[in-house]
Amino acid sequence: MQKVIGETKKAFLTGNEAIAWGCLAAEADMMFGYPITPQNEIMHYWTRLAPKYGKEFLQTEDEISAGFTVCGAIQSGIKAFTATAGPGNVLMQEPFGMAEGMRLPFFAIIQQRGGPSSGTVIYSQQEVSLTCYGGNGEGHRIVYSTATHQELYDYTIKGFNTAWKYRFPTYLLGDGYQAKMREPLEMYEPSERGIDIIKPYPLLGLEGHIGTDREPQHLRNIYSMEEELYDVVLKNDADYNSVRQEITEYSEFNCENAEVIIISHGVVSRAAEDAVKVLRAQGIKAGSFRPITLRPFPREQLLAVLEKSNAKKLLITESALGQLERIVKYEIYGQTLPIETLFMPGVGIIDYDIIQKIKSII
Amino acid sequence: MTEQPIPRLVEAYVGEYASGKSEIAINRALELTRQGRRVTLVDLDTVEPFYTLRSLKEKLESFGINMICLSAKDAFGLGETGAMLNPKARWALRHEGDIILDIGYGVYGARTLNLVEGANESDELKVMLVINYSRPMTNSRERIKEYINSFDRIDFIVANTHLGDQTTAEIIIEGNQEILAVANELSLPVAYMAADINFAAELQKHQFLVPVKFINRYMPEAIWS
Amino acid sequence: MVAPATPKSWYLPSKPHKFCPGCGHGIVLKALGETIDELDIQDKTIFGCDIGCSLLSWDFLACDSTQTHHGRTTPVMVGIKRARPQLITIGYMGDGGGYSIGSQHLLNAAVRNEKVTLILVNNTNYGMTGGQMAPTTLPGQKTETTPYGRDPEKTGYPTKGPEFLSELTPDGAYVARATVSKYKQLRRFLRNALRNQIEGNGFSFLEVLSTCPTNWRTNAQQTWHFLEDEMEQFFTVGEFKTPFGKGDK
Repeated sequence: MQKVIGETKKAFLTGNEAIAWGCLAAEADMMFGYPITPQNEIMHYWTRLAPKYGKEFLQTEDEISAGFTVCGAIQSGIKAFTATAGPGNVLMQEPFGMAEGMRLPFFAIIQQRGGPSSGTVIYSQQEVSLTCYGGNGEGHRIVYSTATHQELYDYTIKGFNTAWKYRFPTYLLGDGYQAKMREPLEMYEPSERGIDIIKPYPLLGLEGHIGTDREPQHLRNIYSMEEELYDVVLKNDADYNSVRQEITEYSEFNCENAEVIIISHGVVSRAAEDAVKVLRAQGIKAGSFRPITLRPFPREQLLAVLEKSNAKKLLITESALGQLERIVKYEIYGQTLPIETLFMPGVGIIDYDIIQKIKSII
Repeated sequence: MTEQPIPRLVEAYVGEYASGKSEIAINRALELTRQGRRVTLVDLDTVEPFYTLRSLKEKLESFGINMICLSAKDAFGLGETGAMLNPKARWALRHEGDIILDIGYGVYGARTLNLVEGANESDELKVMLVINYSRPMTNSRERIKEYINSFDRIDFIVANTHLGDQTTAEIIIEGNQEILAVANELSLPVAYMAADINFAAELQKHQFLVPVKFINRYMPEAIWS
Repeated sequence: MVAPATPKSWYLPSKPHKFCPGCGHGIVLKALGETIDELDIQDKTIFGCDIGCSLLSWDFLACDSTQTHHGRTTPVMVGIKRARPQLITIGYMGDGGGYSIGSQHLLNAAVRNEKVTLILVNNTNYGMTGGQMAPTTLPGQKTETTPYGRDPEKTGYPTKGPEFLSELTPDGAYVARATVSKYKQLRRFLRNALRNQIEGNGFSFLEVLSTCPTNWRTNAQQTWHFLEDEMEQFFTVGEFKTPFGKGDK
């Protein structure tokens, strides 16, 4: 295997480029994609880099096709992926559902843009519900919400491994800001960090003669009987719950003795942590909690953080109108702390916004 | 009106995505404006409509630069509807005075200049390639050579190595040395190396084979503002 | 009693099959099984089926297979073929899946000359959902959603797939229409449609005119009459495009 990254180096990149390099480092084989802003440069860079490393790309007729070609390619045993945003994410819910139903290790990058409808091509955090719970299923998905370019690179590598290890559709949930911003990060060969890249394997087109060496593989996603489907969904749920704790990730910042805890995810958590620093300097005991996995959500971890803090109030802030809030309220059901909100759908949130909000509620 | 020195300067800045083309172009336009020259700065970035000069238009006009670009409100939305060109850009070379062209990245590279009437016939035009050694596509001598060879024409190199907020003098010096070595090997002249003004004191302690221009960073304000 | 010969590539645990009496799918799948045997491609064939009655073929063959979604068999097969070109991919779909909900995939796969083989069974209606109008329903034909007969003024004329696909595809493509009433010709066209993929020439598409007595509410004689005297009159049977010399019409 040709080393893609070589010696570990600091580099100055946009987020979409960091993802394209991450896909190469993760030994992805093929991208299927359809143009939509703000994910286009993932395709631009993949198509520039892929031929140098013997990798492939197909620009499909739409996002539905991009998703289903990925499903087929994965079934035949290669590490295929796609990237999309907004209305493309809506269309891809159908193939994502097939991946969920058939337990295909589907890895996709979502760069959130404003919605509903065509919305804006710029930025939002409004694809949380769709990415976590979209489709006609039960949300048996794994969703990483990143905040920095380093994480875009790290979680692209991790996302492929998670998908192929647990066989649940896995998403890197970024946004238009992360896609287009430029910042330094460290690119490394996964092996340098002790990361084993999980190799793909086929579900179809297996070795051996059918009838003598092996039985034919008949892969299903539709069932004649209610009970058959029921068993499949419950098995998937049991599998999901059995690995939930090892997948779940979060980070906390200054939550010990905090009197107000800010809950946010993705790029907004950077503003939250900056706000905590400023507030602490002014004598206001603030802390920040950030779910890195939105699915599965770090429920026990959040409850433990609340327990050890002196929190009198929570502030949930997001560039959406309560999509994170609905998840948090569901997950910490029973908690009686007052919850304040700062929602700016489709608009960036900076530390100043959060500082002002905190001062108005304490 | 003061006499414009002859010949005027016509410089087109090209380079990798996020190499610093726009930053270099702005700083160059400001430098020439401060010398009392009449300067027109033209946004020809058709591929990356997010991160272009258009959101800085009013600020740069207040410094006395003649700006040819769309303002954020002229462009209906950004992105899919944003890959558009101000029709004035097509006739940019007809303006009097110095012309600084900020060319977007993309597979066509400097061919974007075809969009400017008279650019290819102009003997005033200089195509300036901006290189940041911290960019992955130009982070080794081989990759820089490969990148330079993808252009039909390059007249000068501008060495612009930096690492955003994590830049150090060592990063600037070491990266630019590699760029200079490749330029030397390919017999391409280096117009200057650019460095953030914050490193002026440290860099002035060193001797360089090419001029150093210290620049201010304007582009961080440009994203979605 | 002499048992009917079954192709080696049939999956016997799924027999007897679940298609209605008089349905044409059994004939198409028998011809397909025999062709897979003849070309000796059973071990490397991936069979993908659409939703609709074509779904009932999901475990019909002793080949690796995958169920897809309605209309999405084409992109799944394209993904498999692009990933592992040495596999032989057969997409199996009805007229609704191919010409209506999946038409953008069919059209674009044809334009790109994707090296897959698609078999589209045309029975002029949506069978599994209870006999609604399909893109191929004939003018005047009654269905559950055209209770007074299909009015082309309101719903257009039937889709002629091979006609448009033969125009869209580049050289190397194979495009034909067969009928379950002409078994030897059906076998020959299937052989060509698969041989074309094996040789890597390009896109291969075979529409097969088929019967649906359950939804047509026809007896055996009426079924055959509708197929031969109405469908085959409207839909030209033959090879529209072939890299194997002069087509047969």
